[in-house]
Amino acid sequence: MLKSDLTSRDLAGMKSSADIVEIEWAPCREACPAHADVRRYIERIAEGDWLGAIDVIRANLPFAAVCGRICHHPCEQNCRRQDVDQQVAIRELKRFVAEYQGAVGATVNKAPKQDKARVAIVGAGPAGMSAALELAKLGYQPTVFEKASVAGGMPALTIPRYRLPLDVTKIDTDWICAHGVEVVTGVEIGEDKTIAQLKDEGFAAVLVATGLAKSRALPLPGSDAKGVYGVIDFLYSINFGPTPEIGENVLVIGGGNVAIDAARSAVRLGAKTVTASCLENEEEMPAWEWEQEEAREEGVQIVYRRGPLEVVTDGDKIIGVKARKVTRVFDADGRFSPEYDDNDVIEIPCDTVIFAIGQGPDMGFVEGSDLKVDERGRMSYKPETCETNADGVFACGEIVTPPGSVVEATASGRRAATALDQYISGKPIELTEAKCDLISDIPSDVAETVIKVERVTIPTDAADVRKKGFTEFEHTLDMANVVVEARRCMSCGGGVEVIVDKCAACMTCLRVCPFDIPVVTDVARISSDKCQACGLCMSECPANAIVPRSHSQDKLDTQIAAALAGEAAKKTLAFIGGFCRPAAEWRGEVEAIDGVAEVYLTSTSRLNVAAILKALQCGAEKVVVVCCPEGADRYPTVADRTKKHVEQVRELISQIGLSPECVQLLEVGDKDRSVIAEAIKDAITGNSE
Amino acid sequence: MIVAERKSMDELLETLSGYRKVLVLGCGSCVTVCLTGGEKQAEELAGLLNLAAKSKGLDLTADFASITRQCDREFFADIPEDKKLSDYDAVLSLACGVGVGFMSEQFPEVTVLPGLNTTFYGANTADGIWAEYCHGCGDCVLAWTGGVCPIARCSKSLINGSCGGTDKGKCEVDKDMDCAWLVIYKRLESLGRLEDLRKLRPPRNWSTDRGKGVRRLTHAEMVASEQENE
Repeated sequence: MLKSDLTSRDLAGMKSSADIVEIEWAPCREACPAHADVRRYIERIAEGDWLGAIDVIRANLPFAAVCGRICHHPCEQNCRRQDVDQQVAIRELKRFVAEYQGAVGATVNKAPKQDKARVAIVGAGPAGMSAALELAKLGYQPTVFEKASVAGGMPALTIPRYRLPLDVTKIDTDWICAHGVEVVTGVEIGEDKTIAQLKDEGFAAVLVATGLAKSRALPLPGSDAKGVYGVIDFLYSINFGPTPEIGENVLVIGGGNVAIDAARSAVRLGAKTVTASCLENEEEMPAWEWEQEEAREEGVQIVYRRGPLEVVTDGDKIIGVKARKVTRVFDADGRFSPEYDDNDVIEIPCDTVIFAIGQGPDMGFVEGSDLKVDERGRMSYKPETCETNADGVFACGEIVTPPGSVVEATASGRRAATALDQYISGKPIELTEAKCDLISDIPSDVAETVIKVERVTIPTDAADVRKKGFTEFEHTLDMANVVVEARRCMSCGGGVEVIVDKCAACMTCLRVCPFDIPVVTDVARISSDKCQACGLCMSECPANAIVPRSHSQDKLDTQIAAALAGEAAKKTLAFIGGFCRPAAEWRGEVEAIDGVAEVYLTSTSRLNVAAILKALQCGAEKVVVVCCPEGADRYPTVADRTKKHVEQVRELISQIGLSPECVQLLEVGDKDRSVIAEAIKDAITGNSE
Repeated sequence: MIVAERKSMDELLETLSGYRKVLVLGCGSCVTVCLTGGEKQAEELAGLLNLAAKSKGLDLTADFASITRQCDREFFADIPEDKKLSDYDAVLSLACGVGVGFMSEQFPEVTVLPGLNTTFYGANTADGIWAEYCHGCGDCVLAWTGGVCPIARCSKSLINGSCGGTDKGKCEVDKDMDCAWLVIYKRLESLGRLEDLRKLRPPRNWSTDRGKGVRRLTHAEMVASEQENE
C-alpha cells in the first residue's frame, strides 16, 4: 500500500495507473546495481512482448545481452519467489530476450538533435560505453577511444567464449553505437594521443573508464620463468590469439572468478591436470559458488589455504610452486590480513603457472595530462562528483570503484554521464541516487497459497562434453520455457491500488481474492507486500475502485480494438489465456485460424464482463474465451471466475436478443496450440450450424 | 442498505427509445455494495446498450460515469467534465429511486430515468445474496420481537402474529418463506424472553409509515439559518 491514500484526483494527474508502480520497488530491482525494472520486463516476457521487454531492460541496463550471460544476478539472489519454491530464472529470461531481439530488435532512443559538446571517453568497457550512451541520448557527441580492436571491455576481451561469445557483446555495443556513439578502436590514450591533446581537439570533457586491465603480479622467486602467465594476458590470448602454450599440469593461483575462468580455460586448452590454489578456505573463496562447482565438475582441483612462496624451476622448466599454509585470511574486523605458518610448506607440482590474484589499472593514460596519482598508483578522484583533480576530466568504473561486475560498471558509467552533463551545462554537480520504498518479505501464509511451479532447468552440456572446447555450454531457453518461467514471477509490489474515494467498502475484493489479502477498514486495504497481482479483485470491484499498479486495463481494451480493426476484420475474437504451452507458440510463430483474431493473456483473471462485451461492441460476432482448467492457470480460482463471467455475459446478451452461443468458453488453455486451434474451430462451426 | 435490481433490458430499451445519447450514471453507495448500480455495472450496462443498439439498428449511444452518491447534491459536481449532462438526451440513473428523484429535482432541465427497481432495505446474508430486513415503517418494534421485523418479514406485517396461514413454520404466501412469527417465537424462546409476547400490542400507527405523506427529517442544529423557513 502507498503511504498516503490514492484518490481519483491523484490518478487523474497520472499518465496511467502504471505510474504508481514506481513508488515501491521489489527487492529484485533494489538489488540490481543498475535498478533494472525487473518486474516490468518479466511481465512483458510473460506476455510474449519481447520488444517491450528488451526496451524496459535497456532503459537501465545497456549491457543487457552481456548481463544475460554473465551477470552475477543479485536480482535472482533477492527474488521473493524463493520463499515459495525457487527464484525466477531472471538472468536466463533476460538472455533469451536480449539475444532473440538482437541489436536491431531494440528501440533506439536517439536524441532528436545531437549537437551538444563533444566528449571523449577513454575505454569502451561497460562503464565507458554506458556513459557514452547516456551522453548521446542527452544530445552530446561522445567518442570512445579503445586501445583494443573491439569495443566491450573486459567482457569482450578476457571473458572466455564458453561463457560469453563475442557476438553477444556486439549486440550491446552495436545497439549503443546506434544512438550516435562513435567508437575509435586501436587508439591508446597516453600512448597514441594524450588527454591534453583530446582537449585541444575540442572535446569539452574527458571521462576515464579504463577499468582494471592489467594482471597483478607477485614478485616471487621464479615468477619470471617461461610458462608463468598473468591471467589477463592469458585469457586475452585465448580469445584473440595466439593461443598460449601450456604444459600438462597447470596451476592457477587465485580464488576469484577470474581464476576460475583461467582454470576452466586451461582445461579446455587440453591440460591434463588443472589446480587452483587460493589463500581462502571453501567458504571464504570469493568465486561464485556455482563457478566453483562447475569448475570442479570439469576436473579442476582446488587447493585451499595456501600462499605461494616460489615458482620452482629446473633449468628453464617450471616443476612446481612452493606454498605455505595460510592460518588466517582476514583479521577480526574482516580486513584482508593473511597470516602464514612457515613451517608448513608444500610443493604443488606443475609446469605452467597462471597468476590470477587480482587486476590493477593500466595508468598509461596519465601520460601527458594534469592527472595526479598518489604513491600507491591511485588517481585523485571525488566519488561524490566523479571528478578527478584535473578540470574537465572525470572517471568512472573499476579504475575508481572497487572491483565489481558489469552491471555495477554500467551504473557507474550512467552516473558519470549525469555528472558530465551537469559540468558541461555549467551547473553544480549533484548526483543523487533514485531510491524507492521497498516491499517486505512475503508472509508465509501468503507464500503457501501461491501455486507452486518448478523453476525451469537451464539446458547445460555435461562436464565431459563442455570441457572439450570453448563453445557455450549453457544454452538459451526455448520460447515455451521462457514464457512459463516468466509467469512464475509474482509481480511483487506490482499488484493493485485502491482509489479510496471510490471504494464503497463492499467487501467484494475480500471475497474474491484467492490469497486472502484485502482487509476492509474504512475502505479496502490491499497490502502490496502480499498482493500477487492476479487482478481478480479489480475485475470484480463494482465501483471500479481498484486499479492495477503495473498492468493497465486500458491495454486490454486497446488490444481488443486492434485485434478486430483493419480491412479484413475478423469475425471471431479469441481470448487465449494459459499458464502453460500455448503461450509459447505466440507472436506469429503459428498459423492463424481463419477469421479468428487472437488476444493473449497470461491469465484470464482480468478478463471481466465489460471486456468480453467490449469485444462484441468492437465488431466480433463471436467471442471464444480459452481458459485453463483449475490449477493450470497462473493464479488460483481463475477458472471458476472466468466461467462465471462467460455465463454472465451469455445471460446479458440473451436479454438483448443475441444468441448466448455468441460467447463460448473452452477450458483447454493448458493444451497444445493444435488442440486449442481445433477447439476454437469446432466452437465456431458449432455456432454456425 | 438500500437494495435494488436492474430493470429488464426490454424495459430499459423501451424507456430509452427516442433518446439518442444517454449517460448511464452509477451511484457509489448502497447500489454499489449490492453490485447493481456501481461504476462497473454502469460500464457493463453502457456496453450492453451500445451492443443492443448495434444489433438492433437503434440510434442510441451510451457512455458511463459514476459519483459517490446521487442523494447528496455536492457529489453531482464530480460528474467528469467530459460527460457534461447537457451533452446527453437523458441520464439513465443506476441509483435507487432516491437518487433518481433527487437528481431530477436538482437538474430540472435533465431527463433522469431509472435504470433500477429499488426493492428493499436489506443485508448481505451470504456472498452474492441480499435479503430484506427492514421496511422503514418509522416505528421500530424490534425491541420486543427479538430483532426479527414482523413488518418487513411477515407477509401481512402483523404485530400480534402469527396468523392462521402459518403451516409447519412456513408462510402460506410462499412455502419457501419462513413464517416471521415462528422465527420471532423461537428467537425470543432462545433469549428467554417469551414473556414479551404475552403483551398485547395496540394497533399500529401507520402515520409514521406512509400515512402522513412525504416523511422528512430535520436536525435543527445543522439547518442553515436562511433555510429555516423553507
